[in-house]
Amino acid sequence: MNTTLDTLVDILARDYCVAREQVRPEATLETLGLDSLSVLELMFKIEDRYKVKITDDTPTDLLTVSDVVRYIDGLLAANSATHSRPLEASSDT
Amino acid sequence: MTSRRVAVTGLGVVAPLGSSVNELWENLVAGRSGVARLPSAISQGLRSPIGAAVNFDGKNHFEPPRLRLLDRVSQLALVAAPQAHADSRVDFAAEQRERCGVFVGSSLGGAETTEEGYHTLYAQQSDRIKPYSVLNAMANAPAAWIGIDHGLYGPMLTYSTACSSSAVALGEAARRIQHGDVDVMLAGGTEAPLVVGVLRAWDAMRTLATEDAHDPSASCRPFAATRTGLVLGEGAAFVVLEDWDHALARGAIIHAELAGYGLTSDVAHITRPSIEGQAKAMQSALSAAHLEPQAIDYINAHGTATLQNDAVETAAIKLVLGERAHAIPVSSTKSMHGHLLGAAGALEFVITVMSLTRRMVPPTMHLDAPDPACDLDYVPGHAREAHLRAAMTNSFAFGGTNAVLILRTASESAFPVAD
Repeated sequence: MNTTLDTLVDILARDYCVAREQVRPEATLETLGLDSLSVLELMFKIEDRYKVKITDDTPTDLLTVSDVVRYIDGLLAANSATHSRPLEASSDT
Repeated sequence: MTSRRVAVTGLGVVAPLGSSVNELWENLVAGRSGVARLPSAISQGLRSPIGAAVNFDGKNHFEPPRLRLLDRVSQLALVAAPQAHADSRVDFAAEQRERCGVFVGSSLGGAETTEEGYHTLYAQQSDRIKPYSVLNAMANAPAAWIGIDHGLYGPMLTYSTACSSSAVALGEAARRIQHGDVDVMLAGGTEAPLVVGVLRAWDAMRTLATEDAHDPSASCRPFAATRTGLVLGEGAAFVVLEDWDHALARGAIIHAELAGYGLTSDVAHITRPSIEGQAKAMQSALSAAHLEPQAIDYINAHGTATLQNDAVETAAIKLVLGERAHAIPVSSTKSMHGHLLGAAGALEFVITVMSLTRRMVPPTMHLDAPDPACDLDYVPGHAREAHLRAAMTNSFAFGGTNAVLILRTASESAFPVAD
């Protein structure tokens, strides 16, 4: 199964034309070419991909790729704790 | 004050019947129609499921990060405007950029984005409106992107006067050049109205043509006794307008001179056209061009194929041109490319320029049954060779803004016609 980072790399490469090798954990979204509206849109894509709900108090300091990965993993862990079985990632992104 | 002359030095189109001026022209003079049945996804529930769509997929022109910022109305404009720029061979980097600008006409702006937003809200019952919705839907988005792409620091304006929007954009751009405010303008129109909400709204007005039972492509019949209404079309058309001496100095090929612009308002009914308002606009354009009616050799008519327009426009042409009205060809190319609303004036301006340079008048198609109220020479069925000295193109609109543009051939322009 793909890691969260792999999935994020897929989204950034496909929808934002970011070169895969550029998507390193320490890279900021800004240097990858995403402005604030793109980051908002990315959150929508993550919601769709993982069937999670990102709340209005979503941290706005999701600056680096590793921050985003950590945030998604946190949401997934929280979901697993409240569901009897882990959620599977949706494939129709 | 001596007014400067305005040269047309670049042409670009993405329209039904052609995604280049040459392709468009070949289809027009061959009398082909871009009107067809629309996909059922957008035409469901329409009395008449027809339109004039452009064979255009934004994915073939823009990378995903850019594409998501662009409504279809901007996508079309951002392909047509660079064509005009390339044709003109203007090097904006070598220009005083604050003396270069962009004027765009559009009636509806980003209709697809607006529709998608409402679909998300009301049909999907979701609050997931796209973050870019405002930027995609705003009416001035096409002008803004063109300005950004070409680095135009001068005036950037968007005109929305319904079906005369882009004729107004061209006329106003010409005035800025005449007055010496600017040297080079990218001007044109863009419209992308083929979405469910817009189609249904027009359908509700009962102004759309009934689909021809035998041949949907023949549904738009300007000036015919059997005309039943307009057919909506999409597309974009742009031109480069330039100070005449500026164009000469850089060795540009001048396609034609934009010699006159007339602008009047009906101030009557919101939809019903006025003979007087249209006639005054034509008269005003003639005065601006310093031309007598007998100097006009061709009129590209507004010719929407609505019952009202075609009879009123015919009467207005006769009022202004007198005997001359019966001696010259008058055609409506909307019979082939449909009604591009805010982009119509610019598209028909480009077609009129080509009529001058190619020495050929495009036909009015599907005019088999003449209407006694429409008794001019509408060039029915077949294109005709004609050496035109000057031509007029009419654009009228709901709301009553009448815009008329007059073109003269570049060669005739070198030897001014006596008043």
